[in-house]
Amino acid sequence: MSEFILEMRNISKSFAGVQALKDVSIRCRPGLVYGLVGENGAGKSTLMKILAGAYSADAGEITYKGERRDQASTAEIIASGISIIYQELALVGQMSVAENIFLGREPRHALGILNLPELHARSAVLLKRLGIELDLDLPVSELTIAQQQLVEIAKALSQHADLIVMDEPSAILAGSELDQLFEIIQNLVEQGVTIIYISHRLEEVFRIADEVTVLKDGELVATRPIGELDRATLVEYMVGRPLDEVFPQTEHEQGELVLAAKDLATDTILDGVSLELYAGEILGIAGMVGSGRTELARALFGADPLTGGSIELVDKGASAWGSPAQAIGAGLVLAPEDRKAHGLFTTLSVRINVSIPILSTLTRLGVLKRRAEDQVVREAQERLSIVMSSPDQETQFLSGGNQQKVVLAKWLSTDPAVIILDEPTRGVDVGAKFEIYRLMRQLNDRGIAIVMISSELPEIIGMSDRIMVMNDGRVAGELTRDEAGEARIIELATLGAAEAGQS
Amino acid sequence: MNLLASGFFGKRKRSAQSRAVFLRRNGPIIMVYAFILLLVLIGITQSERFFTERNLTNVARQSAFLGLVALGQMLVILTAGIDLSVGSLVKVSILVSAIVMNGESANVLPAIIATLGLGVLVGLIHGFLINELRIAPFIVTLASLVILRGIGLTISSSPVGKASREVMMFYVQKIGPIPIIAWMFFLLIVLTMLLLRFTVFGKYLYAVGGNIEVARLSGVPIKAVRYGVYVLCSLTAAVTGLLWLSRMGVGDPAIGDGIELQTITAVIIGGTSLFGGRASVLGTLGGVLLLGITANLLVMLGVNQFIQGLIQGVIIVAAVALYKQEGD
Ligand SMILES: Nc1ncnc2c1ncn2[C@@H]1O[C@H](COP(=O)(O)OP(=O)(O)OP(=O)(O)O)[C@@H](O)[C@H]1O
Ligand SMILES: [Mg+2]
Repeated sequence: MSEFILEMRNISKSFAGVQALKDVSIRCRPGLVYGLVGENGAGKSTLMKILAGAYSADAGEITYKGERRDQASTAEIIASGISIIYQELALVGQMSVAENIFLGREPRHALGILNLPELHARSAVLLKRLGIELDLDLPVSELTIAQQQLVEIAKALSQHADLIVMDEPSAILAGSELDQLFEIIQNLVEQGVTIIYISHRLEEVFRIADEVTVLKDGELVATRPIGELDRATLVEYMVGRPLDEVFPQTEHEQGELVLAAKDLATDTILDGVSLELYAGEILGIAGMVGSGRTELARALFGADPLTGGSIELVDKGASAWGSPAQAIGAGLVLAPEDRKAHGLFTTLSVRINVSIPILSTLTRLGVLKRRAEDQVVREAQERLSIVMSSPDQETQFLSGGNQQKVVLAKWLSTDPAVIILDEPTRGVDVGAKFEIYRLMRQLNDRGIAIVMISSELPEIIGMSDRIMVMNDGRVAGELTRDEAGEARIIELATLGAAEAGQS
Repeated sequence: MNLLASGFFGKRKRSAQSRAVFLRRNGPIIMVYAFILLLVLIGITQSERFFTERNLTNVARQSAFLGLVALGQMLVILTAGIDLSVGSLVKVSILVSAIVMNGESANVLPAIIATLGLGVLVGLIHGFLINELRIAPFIVTLASLVILRGIGLTISSSPVGKASREVMMFYVQKIGPIPIIAWMFFLLIVLTMLLLRFTVFGKYLYAVGGNIEVARLSGVPIKAVRYGVYVLCSLTAAVTGLLWLSRMGVGDPAIGDGIELQTITAVIIGGTSLFGGRASVLGTLGGVLLLGITANLLVMLGVNQFIQGLIQGVIIVAAVALYKQEGD
C-alpha cells in the first residue's frame, strides 16, 4: 500500500455549464490534518461531495487505501471508512438525537429489529466523548444549531472513519465548543485518522492543519505545508491578489438617535434589554451562542411578540410594531443568521429575491413592470458586485458570499433607516467579507444605522463603533471601541455584568 | 433473552424537555379522542339505538374496514408520499377474489393468494415508477386510481362471482363480544406501532419522509424503503377487498370508490403531516373512529346525506387548524 490513504487525481466536474472543478488533485497521508481553503464557490464542497459519493465526477480517479474506487454507493463509502460532516446540516429534524447519529447503521437484531439499548448506550458514549449533555430522545429540530452541529460531529465519529471531512464545522461554533472540536481532532489524529478541514476562518487552519490546499474558481492553486505559509500569502493565493485586511472605518461624528428600545422582554429569553442606536453607526452585539442575541434581533424586527418594554424609531415617530411587515414599513429590516432558511427563496431567481420587498411599487395596474424590476436588480448587482450567471439564476446555486449579498440587496431596495445583520459574514470568504464590511460603511455614510450580531470577535472589535455584550438574555455590558478587547468581551459574555464588575 | 430486562419494551426515562415536546406534539390527538367521547355521549343521550351491542359491533367493523387501509396510507404519507389508488385497488380486489373463489371452499386459498399477489404487484409497480422513473407519487397513484377503476369496470359493471360460505361467515364471527375483523384491525395497529418504534424499516420511513437528501447521504436504502412501503399499502387495500367480499358475498363493482380520500382524511385528522416525517398510529386510529362514529351518528339521528359530507369537511378543517395551533 502506498503512503497515501487517499489520492484524488485530475478531478473535474461541471454543473449545467458551470465548471465547478477543473483537473484538481489532492493526496493525504494517514494521521494528518489537511486544510482546504478558497473563496466561496471555489469548489471545496463539490470536491468533498465527490469523495463522499454524493456527486460523481465527470473525469478523474480516486484511489483510497491503495485501491482504485469506481462507482460506489454512499453506504459502501461510509462503510469503507470515509465520513463527512456536511456544510449544510445533514440531520433529519423529526428524528431523535440517537436515531440521527446512527441513521443508516442502526445496531440491530435479526429481522431488522432495532437494538435500542445498544443505540442509546453507544450514542451516550459518543456524546460523553464530545463533552456534551443532550437528551438522546429529543427530536433534533428542538436543538440549537450549535447543538445540531455537535450531533453531526458525533455522527461522523460513530462511523469509526479513517478519513473525516469537516466542511466548515466551526461556522456555528464558538468559544468552548470550538476548543472541544479541536481537542477531538487532536485525539483522532493521534489515533491515525486523517482529517480534511474546510474553513473560512484562516486562524483555525493555521492552528490545526499540517498542510493546506487552496482552490480558486475550481482549480488547484497551491498545496503547501503550513510552515511555509503566512496569512498574507494564503489570502493572496485565495483571492488572487494581495489583500490588506484592514477594517474600514467611518469618519463622521455620531449622528442623531434613530432607535430607542427600553426594557425589552419576550417569553423566549430576553429579560429587560435596552439599547439606543444612532444614525450612521455600527452597534456590535457580542455574546455566546444562546445568549439572546438572535432573539433580540427578532424582537426588534417584530418577529417575536414582546411581553414587555417598548421600541421606538425616533424620527419616524413609529413605535410598537407587531409584525415584520410593519417593521419594514417603518424602516427597520433584518438579515437573519440562517440565510437559507429565513433570508432567501433558494429555489427562486436572484431577480425575485431582490425585488420582492418592493414589488408593489414596481407595478402598473397590478401588472409587474419588468423594465423597472430589471433596473432595480441591475443597480443592486452593480452596487454590491454580486457574481451571478444571470439575474434568473436560482440563489441556491450562488456561493455563500454572493447569497449574503443578495440578502443585503433585498433589504437595501427598501431604503431602510436601520439594518440588523445577524452573523453577516458567516460562511463568507475573506475577500467577500471585506467587501461586505466596506458595504456596511457605505450604508453608514448614507446615514443608515446598523446593528451587527457576530460571534467573530475580530469582526466585532474591528467594525463596531460601540459594542454591547449579552449574557443570558440581558445586557452584560457596553463597551466603546477603545475599551473593547477580546478578553474583556469574553469575560462579560461568560460571567455577566455583576460578576465581571467585581472581579 | 434479556430484551425485556434491558429495556427493549420498557421506556427509558424521558427528560422534562422531551416530555414537553411529546405533549406538544400529541396534545391535539388527545383533543381528537375528547371529541370522540363527546360524540359518544351525544349518541347515548340522543338515540336509543346508538349504544346497543348491535350498533357498536357495526361501528367497530366499519372502522376496521377503513382503518386497515388508513394504516397503509399513513405509512406512505410518513415517507412524504401518497397513495390515491387504494380505493380502486379495493374494488379490483373484491372482483378478483369473488371471481376466483366462485362460491367454492376449495378456491378460498387460491383467491386469497391471487388477491394478495395483486396487491404486491400494484405496490411494486408504484415503487418502480416512483423510484426508477422518478415520477411523483401523486401522479403515479392518480394514474393507477384511474387505470384500476377502469379495469374493475371492464371486468364487470354488475356483481360477479361469489364468496364461499366460510368467507361469508367470517364477517359475522366474533371472539368474545368483538368481531374478528375488529381484532384484525387491532392487531395491525399493534404491529404498525412496533414497526415504527422498534424496526430499522420503521426508522427509515421517518428518515425518507423527514429529509430524503440526508437519508441518501447517510446510506439509507431509499429505493428499498419506497418499494416496501407502497407494497405494504397496496396489501392493506387488497386485504380490505377480501373483507368486503366477506361482507357483500359477491364481487360488487360499486365497492371502493372514495376510500382514498377517507383514508387520507383519517390520517390527517390523526396528526400525520402530509409533508412527511411525522406519523401517529393512535392519531390515525382516532381519525378513523372519529369518521366512523360521526357517519354512524348522523345516520342514527337521521341527518341528510349531503350534510354528512359537509360535516366531514368541517371536521378536517377543524383538525388541521388544531394541529397548526398546537404543533410546531
Ligand atoms: N448542485 C449544484 N448545481 C449547480 N451548481 C452547483 C451545484 N453545487 C455547486 N454548484 C456550483 O459549483 C461551484 C462550486 O461550489 P461549492 O459549493 O463547491 O463551493 P465552495 O468552495 O464549497 O464554496 P463555499 O465556501 O461558499 O461553501 C459554485 O459555482 C456553485 O455555484
Ligand atoms: Mg462549501
